[in-house]
Amino acid sequence: MIPGPFDYQVASSVAEAIALLDQHGADAKVLAGGHSLIPLLRFRLASPAVLVDINRLRDLEYMQEADGTLHIGALTREVDLEASDLIRRRYPILADTARVIADPVVRNWATIGGNLAHADPANDHPATMLALGAQLVATGPTGQRLIPIEQFFTDSSFETTLQPNELLTEIRIPAPAERSGGAYLKLERKVGDYAIAGVAAYVVLDGAGHVTYAGIGLTNVGPTPIKARAAEQLLRGSTLDDAVIAQAARQAAAEAQPVSDLRGPADYKRAMVETLTMRALRQARSRATGGA
Amino acid sequence: MELELRINGVIKSLDVAPNELLLNVLRREGYYSVKHGCDHGHCGACTVLIDGLPRPSCVMLAMQAAGATVTTVEGLGSLHRLHPLQETFIDAGAVHCGFCTPGMLLSAYALLQRNPNPSEEEIREALAGNLCRCTGYNRLVQAVQRAAALLRGEDIEPISIPDSGGRTRSWDLGRASLEPYEQTGTGVQRVQVMMGQPERQIDAIKLVTGKPAFADDCDLPGLLHARLLTSPHAHAIIREIDTTEARALPGVHAVLTYKDIPRIPSTSAGQPWPEPGPHDQYSLDHTVRYVGDRVAVVAAETADIAEQALKLIKVDYEPLPAVFDPRQALEPGAPRLHPEPESYGIYDANRNIASHVHFEQGDVERAFASAELIVEGEYVLPQSQHAALENHVAITYWDEDDRLVVRTSSEVPYHVRRIVAALTGLAPRRIRVIAPRVGGGFGGKHDLIVEDLCALLTLATDRPVRLEYSRVDEFRSSRVVPSQIIRLKTGLRRDGTIIANQMLVLVNAGAYGGQAASVSAGSGLNSLPLYPCPNLRYSAQAVYTNLPPAGAFRSNGALAGLFALESHMDEIARRLGMDPLALRRKNWLKEGEPLPFLSQAQARYESPIPQAGLASPYSAEVRLAHCGLPRCLQVVEEQLNWREKRRQGQSGPAQSGRIQRGVGIALAMHLPTSAQSLLSSATLKLNEDGSFNLLISLPENGNGSHTILAQIAAEVLGVRPEDILIHLPDTDSTPFDTSSDPSSSLYACVHAVRQAAEQVRQQLLSVAARLLKVPAESLSLADYQISAPGGKSLSLSQVALQALYGEQPTPISATSSWNAACNAPTFAAQGVEVEVDTATGATRVLKVVSAIDGGHIVNPVLAEGQIEGGIAQGLSYSLCEEMVYDQQGNLLTTDLNDYRIFSARDMPETSIVLMEGDGSDPFDIRDIGEIAIAAVAPALANAVADALGVRLRQLPLTPERILHALYVVRQQAARPA
Repeated sequence: MIPGPFDYQVASSVAEAIALLDQHGADAKVLAGGHSLIPLLRFRLASPAVLVDINRLRDLEYMQEADGTLHIGALTREVDLEASDLIRRRYPILADTARVIADPVVRNWATIGGNLAHADPANDHPATMLALGAQLVATGPTGQRLIPIEQFFTDSSFETTLQPNELLTEIRIPAPAERSGGAYLKLERKVGDYAIAGVAAYVVLDGAGHVTYAGIGLTNVGPTPIKARAAEQLLRGSTLDDAVIAQAARQAAAEAQPVSDLRGPADYKRAMVETLTMRALRQARSRATGGA
Repeated sequence: MELELRINGVIKSLDVAPNELLLNVLRREGYYSVKHGCDHGHCGACTVLIDGLPRPSCVMLAMQAAGATVTTVEGLGSLHRLHPLQETFIDAGAVHCGFCTPGMLLSAYALLQRNPNPSEEEIREALAGNLCRCTGYNRLVQAVQRAAALLRGEDIEPISIPDSGGRTRSWDLGRASLEPYEQTGTGVQRVQVMMGQPERQIDAIKLVTGKPAFADDCDLPGLLHARLLTSPHAHAIIREIDTTEARALPGVHAVLTYKDIPRIPSTSAGQPWPEPGPHDQYSLDHTVRYVGDRVAVVAAETADIAEQALKLIKVDYEPLPAVFDPRQALEPGAPRLHPEPESYGIYDANRNIASHVHFEQGDVERAFASAELIVEGEYVLPQSQHAALENHVAITYWDEDDRLVVRTSSEVPYHVRRIVAALTGLAPRRIRVIAPRVGGGFGGKHDLIVEDLCALLTLATDRPVRLEYSRVDEFRSSRVVPSQIIRLKTGLRRDGTIIANQMLVLVNAGAYGGQAASVSAGSGLNSLPLYPCPNLRYSAQAVYTNLPPAGAFRSNGALAGLFALESHMDEIARRLGMDPLALRRKNWLKEGEPLPFLSQAQARYESPIPQAGLASPYSAEVRLAHCGLPRCLQVVEEQLNWREKRRQGQSGPAQSGRIQRGVGIALAMHLPTSAQSLLSSATLKLNEDGSFNLLISLPENGNGSHTILAQIAAEVLGVRPEDILIHLPDTDSTPFDTSSDPSSSLYACVHAVRQAAEQVRQQLLSVAARLLKVPAESLSLADYQISAPGGKSLSLSQVALQALYGEQPTPISATSSWNAACNAPTFAAQGVEVEVDTATGATRVLKVVSAIDGGHIVNPVLAEGQIEGGIAQGLSYSLCEEMVYDQQGNLLTTDLNDYRIFSARDMPETSIVLMEGDGSDPFDIRDIGEIAIAAVAPALANAVADALGVRLRQLPLTPERILHALYVVRQQAARPA
């Protein structure tokens, strides 16, 4: 099938993109990498009147650290994230995430902003961003606002708190503190598939080895990306020993809301959240204490 | 909108609509190398380079390419100047059906542009977005490595025999002398012996250069596009169907429903007449029997208009109770799928039994009663799909003589002609079927999926019509590899001697039974005879359900039968405390023994079709002349390091730790087609330059059969394979063939070609004898020339000119046929080593070893490629492929993401050993492509059982099934005795 008719607009600046979104409101859709949107158009699951192509906005493709924050332009392609020295060295959890998304052809064009704004609970970046405590920059007609990641997703799949006239322009991640580490683990039926379950874990330890920050995000085990708050709570202040990790993993599994589908029965997925959380926390601990 | 497209170094100004996809625009503009495979960007067949980066053009708007540079394979290299990648793809045997090749080449090209020295892992990663269903990927990886070396300026040893340049060598008739010449012995190019040599695929150049080789790669003026309306109900009667609005939509030329065409009971199964399966299908019917069943078909100016028209068709359905499980379908009171009186050939319509196959020898019950041990087991095979990358497509049109041309991606052109004739009312003389290269078949293109409707639309509109399936259509509305439930019961003596064996099979035939009879027969015929014992029983029922119909599939049922039997053998060994290989060696088929089930006395196919071809063609007992099982098993045992590894494995508790490893072995046998005689024909004729046209009706689906046939003809005629020009199947010009699929039928076609070549050789020799004035018997034919004992020689071209234009003009040509059943099975042993994560159930295959006894190997590169592809498909089938439905019979796995097939990253190391025949019969050529898939699943299941101590009896071996089985076993172990 081919997409239904729409008006195709190429935005040559962020301002122009926002003006177009402001003009057309909910009738408009933003076209970034297109790997999620174009199949939706082809199968007529989305029929926007206007398509705003933002692929020419090269000034939204960047990764840089400034003022203790990593700034990632929303149009940054997965392939660049994956290949970046900065990301590999300082944010291995992000490299973990980018490299398990679909296949390299997809990653050539898919963008980090699209992966988040599509709000598919099966997408991989949301869990990682939840674990990292990222902030998202939404740019609208009246300027920018910061949305903490846990307020970005709503209770419904494929829905965010972005306004129709706002564009996700940047992702901000706190620069890694000393003794911090994270990992993203994904269990797949086959390489490149959506996750059966995925777990992102990120921890910061103090000099005595106590957890001062813990973030756990879950992929594809609920209607939305899930932040395992109770599990994070369990970890905070602990020494992150195996017993605590096991306890937190059980808690994270309890916080998952999986349903039975093609990727497995609900109870299997829940069990896998526990296994993966355990492994992700161990790897996060290892990275936080100087290991790989 | 105006689009300035910079493509392959050319700037084109095009008018495109904003919603047009780049894929469609490129194909419209004649860039046929860009293939339509999946509509989602999952398969990579439509990959192009955008500013040097690979991108699936099916999920990109054409307008997005504005200002970018687009590269397709047409821009990579040509016949005269191949890019090193194109060269190494051919050389390494990495081109099979060729449908994925252009996309694969572009992904590889982009990789080498940025990384001239990639690691194997980097290559696998770079190719991961391009699915291939034929090769098994390892040859592709090798080809990319070798191209990288070439591009770095390194020398590489060719794998295949380099191209002779014969295709484009110039020929000067003006200076051609007709006089015999003295053979000096110098300066004459020696032609290598073709048989047994790694010749390049003769048709690979067109595929790596992206030439329009496939059914859909053409355009016709006035072409209409057809779309199919399918049923949303699993079972319903169409109370009323109103097409008024759809017909009124501008651009719509025809809307057909059951009301518009005659109701003719038929079968879509492309098998020799009279087809043995039920005739229970109608091109369009008033009853729909599965979600996805045909309801109506529309032809319109564009696919988009046709799609819109479908939405305007008003259908009033009366839903009927549906049944999806064959066990329930057999129960009294179950919904009946085929109560209609017009259908015929159904074994028992009242009980939903489409077909029934029964073989028996000895007294099975008495043997069970006297057995010292009885082992029983039930095995479940999933419903899966062929998932060839090329979707079903047909283009039909009237030619200048008012004859209907059907251009189709089919493996059974003559059957298409006969069946389309029956369904359109046109006599066969008015139909011409052209079968270009098939972009992957695996059995899925043995059925008529689109041809009849496309033809009916051309009849209705008098216009050329194209009906192409989308990937969703493929999953929902074509044919499936049927689910089977197989029960085994084996009676043994304590020493491991099998005294009775029984296999009962329930095949989920789906809504129509066309292929059900042959599928039912195949599961048993290609497994049980491995262990002949005096008392054998095989009984299979194919049962109707409200699911897509069962089709044919690679290995003709061996895959299913062997998963059950070879898993069961390991279970028996465990019960006996015996080595599983020793158990096999004790009971297996031996040379000189009769093949069970093959003689008519033992076979009872209960087809209600009069004269149906399912009666065994063997009038007498068939004894096995040769059996390669011992050598195959020995090789696999050694290469897998079985003894050593087996000691480390064996039951979970012995191994501790999260990751556990195991090894498993299974045996296989395969008879190309045990139930039907094959008739294959070949016509060969000489051209002035000493080349030959070979006309055959055996389609080429990528298994290399045309190359093998060219090698055989070339061998007999003293030329190179590239001097044999193969004409693709065309029922107007290529001779009759009952081929039911290219792999099996190769056996018969080989002999037809050999005979035709031998006849042509005799004709050549007699012409030369006349010219050289010596007896024909004294002449020799080799190296493009015919030589007399004294050294006087004539070139083939000279002989051709003399024959065609000389004193007694006579064409040099012959047609020959071969009609015989094959009674030389292929044998194989396959071994698998796995690693299982006991916390997640995830399985990683570390190694696959395959030893195949396939008679004389004509082309080792092609043979190994077939085997590797079979291994990949077998692993994919065993680990991840399954079609899943909801409770209403709606298919949930409708794309290549949800229905996942192996990619380059999933393939393990493989080791392939071809058992060379004893050389006594160079034409002992057997099927290799089918057996390669056959024993992968049981070897894998046996390896998992070895790793975990847990037997899984249901495929695919998904992580949750493995974990669940482990959990059950642990619960049982924890329970106090």
